[in-house]
Amino acid sequence: MSILLNKKTRVLVQGITGKIGSVQTHWMLDYGTNIVAGVTPGKGGANVEGVPVFDSASEAVVATGAEASVFFVPASFVLDAFIETVDAGIDLIVIVPEHLPVHDVMIMHDYLQQQTGRDIFVLGPTTPGITTAGEAKMGIMPGSLFKPGRIGIISRSGTLAYEMTGILTDSGIGQSTVVGMGADPVALTSLSNILKRYEADPGTDAVVIVGEVGGVQEEQAADYIKKMTKPVAAYIAGRFAPEGKKMGHAGAIIRGTQGTVKSKCEALGAAGVTILDTPIDVLPWAKKTGH
Amino acid sequence: MKLYEHEAAQIFGEMGLPVPEGVVVYSPEEAKAAAEKIGAPVVIKAQVLAGSRGLAGGVQAAETPEEAFAVASRIIGMGIQGIKVEKVLVTRKVSFQKELYMGITVDGYRGQPVVMVSSEGGMSIEEVARLFPEKIGTRHIPLNRGLMAFEARKLVKDTGFPAGQIGACADILVKLYQIFLRCNALIAEINPLVILQDGTLMAIDAKLEMDDSALKRLGKLVPRDHVRNETSMEKKGREIGVTYVELDGDIGMIASGAGLGMATMDIIGKKLRPANFLETGGGITEELLYKTMDLMMMKKGLRAIFINLYGGINPIHEGAKGIVRYIKEKGVKIPIVAKALGNRQEETWEIFRSGGVHVVEEVPTEKAVAKLFEVLS
Repeated sequence: MSILLNKKTRVLVQGITGKIGSVQTHWMLDYGTNIVAGVTPGKGGANVEGVPVFDSASEAVVATGAEASVFFVPASFVLDAFIETVDAGIDLIVIVPEHLPVHDVMIMHDYLQQQTGRDIFVLGPTTPGITTAGEAKMGIMPGSLFKPGRIGIISRSGTLAYEMTGILTDSGIGQSTVVGMGADPVALTSLSNILKRYEADPGTDAVVIVGEVGGVQEEQAADYIKKMTKPVAAYIAGRFAPEGKKMGHAGAIIRGTQGTVKSKCEALGAAGVTILDTPIDVLPWAKKTGH
Repeated sequence: MKLYEHEAAQIFGEMGLPVPEGVVVYSPEEAKAAAEKIGAPVVIKAQVLAGSRGLAGGVQAAETPEEAFAVASRIIGMGIQGIKVEKVLVTRKVSFQKELYMGITVDGYRGQPVVMVSSEGGMSIEEVARLFPEKIGTRHIPLNRGLMAFEARKLVKDTGFPAGQIGACADILVKLYQIFLRCNALIAEINPLVILQDGTLMAIDAKLEMDDSALKRLGKLVPRDHVRNETSMEKKGREIGVTYVELDGDIGMIASGAGLGMATMDIIGKKLRPANFLETGGGITEELLYKTMDLMMMKKGLRAIFINLYGGINPIHEGAKGIVRYIKEKGVKIPIVAKALGNRQEETWEIFRSGGVHVVEEVPTEKAVAKLFEVLS
């Protein structure tokens, strides 16, 4: 079992003919992902790694029944591709590119709010994607790190998701689904929305949150976590991040007293989350939760 | 990108907000001349990208051009939060009856702009929130329709703005919102907005931060020489294509991602002090890591370097070649410890070892950092 993505999910790759899009399509197929179509405007009729390419998302959906889409589209074209994809009826969108203008992301956020009656899930921008261990992956996570199992991981950072996954796999502890929620100032889903999926997933026993400085996602999720029945642990990176400096990710910036490791750990700790002082501390916690 | 006050004020003025006449100068002589041109009394304001400059003595009045010379000599060259003041803004001193506040920022969690106004201006909005929370009004704005005049009027009225100023203040708030949109701003703020003795309004401070990811499409709106608030090493990092943040420790750190880099600093920091944060992002090449080593070695007093890489989107074997080439060419003497996992890891380890790098093959960064501690003890 898993959340959001499994081996049957019919996946569309937008920007499939680009350098990163085509390479990553190879790796996603190699992992077993059911990629049914690609889109690059003007390249309809081509194929990449045996996947048919269409001019638009709606044509791809009509022809192949694609139900999820992963973006390898240049940042300045993402807003356009996003509205197109929502209108084409796709309900899981993974936005890998980084450096999107924040105002574009706010327009996307507004547009999502208007889609009443639909349950659309968006990861990113600046996400490594989502991987359901042993089944399928959308995005750029290296497949070799994963081992099927029952721990869910949500991360704001790509490399740190790999580190956490690698530590678990190395000790023989598997994962259900690993989700990158994105590292931008504005995210298109919330941490609590992702946690709700794990709480409802019979294939997940416990969840690890991998956070970092900046924003208030972790603080805002605390209320929901109090209601969860499954154990949650969290590691928050950035104890040495100075105030006002962007730590590589646009969203990883402490503004005044907001977004510090301390405020996040306090809010999560008060909600009953096990705070991991360092990533490797996930191992004793996982053992205690029966893994 | 944060703008200097004078740059923000210029944009505010061009977009229809009332701002005082001002001149930017770099020397006491120029400050005196500016005071003569504008007409004393004047206010001389340090142009630095740091908060609390008033408390630090960076904003002072001068009654005459001669005094402007003296005040400017004190302010130019002073340090505010570690940043040296190089220029000052000379503006006409105005007398006012009341100070107000208006600001618009991005609420990242809600994904919308949030407008904040207060009938108490002149101090930081965080301070107002602490002392007079009832005097702050906020409103989230759906970006697809924007801030309407009626809701601006309602917001300032409900927040206790003076009865005679509701329409004029709402007008300024709507203009500020348009500036926020036009500039793809993360922050647009007037603090304070003052009511002058004759009842007219004036924005006597201006704060604007543009979104770095939008600078390209903002074109001419972006001030020239727009890189600021970075040390010379941070500048070099940006030029070669990595994110470098200078810290005060002596252990250099290279990571192939932002989150991994922050976690690596946390782990090193348990016993030692990181000298920097450095992340390459997904663009590793041999050349990039060669240059990155060159950048790292500019830091004085470095005791060791710790390298932490994942080969997902990155060709880490290429990166290792660049690092080893640098070590051999320049004869690097300090110990280097590396952890590198993912595609072509064995090849990467071989290359690192050929340059005398201590390679740790285990997965947890903690174990690799333990090796660093061991090497240094």
